[in-house]
Amino acid sequence: MPSVLVVEDNPDNAELARRVLSARGFEVRHAPDAESGLEMAVDQPPDLILLDLGLPDADGQTLVTWMRRVPALARVPIVACTAWPEETAQRMVTAYGCDGYIPKPINVARFADQIAGYLSRGGR
Amino acid sequence: MAVLAPGIQLSASVQLVPASRYTVAQLTAAYNQTRVDYLVPMPMNAARLAEYIHTYDVDLDASVVAVDASADGQILGLAMLGVRPGRSWITRLGVLPASRRGGIGRALLQALLQTSDARAIPLNVLEVIKNNTPAYNLFIQCGFIARHELLVLRRPPGPPASAPAGRVEWLEGADALALLAGRADTPSWITETESITRAGHVQALTLQLPDGGAGWLVFQEQTFHGLPMLLTRLTLRTLAGAPAEVGRAMLGHLYTRFPDLDTQAENVLEADPHLPAFLDQGFVESFRRIEMHRFYGGC
Repeated sequence: MPSVLVVEDNPDNAELARRVLSARGFEVRHAPDAESGLEMAVDQPPDLILLDLGLPDADGQTLVTWMRRVPALARVPIVACTAWPEETAQRMVTAYGCDGYIPKPINVARFADQIAGYLSRGGR
Repeated sequence: MAVLAPGIQLSASVQLVPASRYTVAQLTAAYNQTRVDYLVPMPMNAARLAEYIHTYDVDLDASVVAVDASADGQILGLAMLGVRPGRSWITRLGVLPASRRGGIGRALLQALLQTSDARAIPLNVLEVIKNNTPAYNLFIQCGFIARHELLVLRRPPGPPASAPAGRVEWLEGADALALLAGRADTPSWITETESITRAGHVQALTLQLPDGGAGWLVFQEQTFHGLPMLLTRLTLRTLAGAPAEVGRAMLGHLYTRFPDLDTQAENVLEADPHLPAFLDQGFVESFRRIEMHRFYGGC
């Protein structure tokens, strides 16, 4: 069962992601901020990290930077989730070495397929 | 209750109270709710908001919270006022989504402007994210005028684009801060010398190029998880030579020394002559803000 770590400060968004991905058979864990996201990822590296770019204690770019320094996480796919305009989001995820991004609000009908697609492609 | 502009009716149950009646944790929770649907939400935790209040001279007695007196004092919105000699700064203004379009944002803004005017502060400053049209229009209606377009830039870790030329000297603390006495830029509130001084952890480099070009770069290093992670509040000054060339060399030396650190350069003027150097060194635009000014009694 693939595992997904959802790093998201908005509890409604996190719960929606958990419900959709759990229904598809993914094991889902949730971290509400960058610090707990980093700790959970290091303690038990997931198969994929879904990362909100706006977090209360550090922004998503900083967290990606940190995660890429951890050898166990260096090749874990990191998918940003953001409401930024497409051009900005694309520019930022490319610059910071994310594997892609999913626009907010998520498309519930497509979300699990999107995650499965990133998992099948693997990390960097 | 705030005095509103003609034609604006605020529900009788809405009251404006000083933000100092609330804990930072309460203000943080309310602020995050006001931003939940923003294009660039920028949520905070209590520690970050406390640091923000300190760094930017936010006066919580002069800042206001809108509450619904008929709903057990539920917070509906808030706005903060930074105060420095001769100027004030409107920040963190926001209304919870369910309470918008009822005049609360305008009431919060007017309360801050009244406080600022009562203190005879000649200049009010704020920044609004570009394309936030409702907020921009509100500020125009309240007497603000657009002054500058500001860029928020990010650069992921990495070495410089090319080996930098010239000779550098590294400075820390008071020696680094002393350079700012000679700054020639037009800083925004968050990049003013007062902000940099209060934020601390200041470092700098001075550069001398073989062709006579010279300049300095002041920056701050922030930590995450106790380790250096982010360079921020970059302030560049070219003393001699072409700013793009001097800036490119200064940034090159910076990333030769700190190739593993992320960088955020906030509120770089669109017309800053060092902007080409930022872009050459791998900075990407995150979003833009518009700085707006209002002069005493202008609402």
